[in-house]
Amino acid sequence: MIKIDNLCKSFGRDEVLKDICLSIDKGQVLGIIGPSGSGKSTLLRCINNLEFPTSGTVRINGKLAYRDETGKAFSETEISATRSKVGMVFQHFNLFPHMTVMQNVYAGPKHVLGLSEKEFREEAIALLESVGLAEKRDQFPEQLSGGQQQRVGIARALAMKPDVMLFDEVTSALDPELVGEVLGVLRKLSEAGMTMLIVTHEMGFVRQVADRVIFMDEGRIVEENSPAEFFDNPQNERTKSFLASVLSHTD
Amino acid sequence: MEFFNLIKPEIALDALPTIFTGLLITLLITIICGILSLTLGVLVAFGRKSKSRTLRLSLGAYVQVFRSTPFLLQLVYIYFVLPFFGIEIPPLPAGILALTLHYTAYLCEVYRGAIEAVPKGQTDAAKALGMRNRVLMVRVILPQAIRTIIPALCNYMVSLLKDTSLLSVVTVQEMMFRGQIYAAETYDYFTIYTMVFLLYFAVGFPGVKLVDYLENRMKKGYASRSVVTSSEETLTARGEKR
Repeated sequence: MIKIDNLCKSFGRDEVLKDICLSIDKGQVLGIIGPSGSGKSTLLRCINNLEFPTSGTVRINGKLAYRDETGKAFSETEISATRSKVGMVFQHFNLFPHMTVMQNVYAGPKHVLGLSEKEFREEAIALLESVGLAEKRDQFPEQLSGGQQQRVGIARALAMKPDVMLFDEVTSALDPELVGEVLGVLRKLSEAGMTMLIVTHEMGFVRQVADRVIFMDEGRIVEENSPAEFFDNPQNERTKSFLASVLSHTD
Repeated sequence: MEFFNLIKPEIALDALPTIFTGLLITLLITIICGILSLTLGVLVAFGRKSKSRTLRLSLGAYVQVFRSTPFLLQLVYIYFVLPFFGIEIPPLPAGILALTLHYTAYLCEVYRGAIEAVPKGQTDAAKALGMRNRVLMVRVILPQAIRTIIPALCNYMVSLLKDTSLLSVVTVQEMMFRGQIYAAETYDYFTIYTMVFLLYFAVGFPGVKLVDYLENRMKKGYASRSVVTSSEETLTARGEKR
C-alpha cells in the first residue's frame, strides 16, 4: 500500500528524518509514537507531500508518488491526484471556517473531482451520519465543539474515498472529555478495514486498535513491533524510558 | 452664536457653485484613482509572487520607494521634476498618476498581508484534499482573506478622498484648490474654509462609519453571515432548511 525507502528530510541544517524505511499493508493500522520533535508529523506530511523529502522515495500502491527516482517532482496535476487518495486529519482540525459543515464535506468532491452538490449530497449526509453529525450540517465550524470539528475533519477527508488515512495527533488539541468521541470514529474506521497511520499520544488506544507500532526518536524509527510486544516488552532503552514516563502520567 | 455670525451667507452662496464643482472633481479623482489602484494593487500583489526574479525585485523596489517617501514629494516630483527628463504631464493626469502609484503601493500590501494572514493549516487541508493551487486560492484563501481586505480597502478609500486635496499644490481644480483661490480673492477665509471643511466631512464621515460597520461585521464570525462571504450554496442550503 505504502512503501517508504531511505526517506530523509532536513530543514536547513536540522535533520528531522534520517533514513526512514517503512511499509504499510492494505487495511493495516500503524501507530506512530514518540516524543515531540521526533519527526512523527513530518513523516506523515511527507506521505502526502505537504513536506517534500530531501531524499528517498514514497511509493503508494506500488507507484512512485510525487517525485521520480532522481528526485524530480511530478507535475501539480499528478501530485494533486495522488494526494486526493491520501486523506489527512490535523491536530488543529483546519476546517474551512467560511464553509458550513456540509460544504466542508463537499469541498473535496466539489473542488477536486468536480462533482455537483446534488450528486454528492446523499453521500455527504451518510458520511456526516457516520460521524454522528448529520444534524449539524448547516452550522459553521465555529459553532461546534473541538470534538465535533475534528469529526467533521474526518468526514471531510473520507469524502474523497481515500485509500489511506493519516491522523496527525488528532486528539491533542481536544479537551479530555472530547477525546473519546473522536477515538470512537477512528476505531470504527479501523474496523471497516481502512488503512491508517496514527500519530498519537493515546497509548491505550494504540494498544487496542493498532496492528503495529513504531517508536520514533530524533528522526529515526527506533523500535517497531506488535502493540502487545511493544508495550509489554519494549527492547530499546529509549522506548523503555519514554513509555515509563508517559504511562506513569496517564495512570 | 458668535460662530455663525462670522459666516457670511452671501459669500457662501456666491462661492457655492465653484466649491461644489470642486467637490465633484474631488469625487471624480477619488473614483478614478480608487478603481485604478484597487485593480493595480491586485496585479502588483500577484506580481510580487511571480517566478520572475526581475519582476519581483522591481515591484518590491517600487512598493518600498512609494511607501517610504511623502506623497506630497512624489506628487511634486512627477509634476515639477519629470519635465527635466522631457516628460511633461498636465496637472490633473499628474495628480491622478501620483495618487494611483501611491495607493497601489499600499493596497498591494493590504492584499498580500491578508492572504498571508490566512493560517497555513488552511493551505495544508486544501492540498491534502487534492486541491490545486489555483482552486485553493479561489475557494479557500481568498474568501477568508477578503474579510480583512474589505474594511482595510474602505479605510484607504477614505484616505484617498482626503489626499486628493494635496493635488491643489499642482493646481488641480479640486475642492481644496478652488477654496484656496476663492478665499484668497475674498479674504473671507472663515466662511470658505468652513464650507470646504463641512463638505469634506459630509462625504468622509459616511465612509468612516462604513469602515467601522464593516470591521464590526467581520469580527462577528462566519455564522452570522456577512454579505461578502455569502455564496450561492449557503443561500440554497438555507432555503432548504426553511
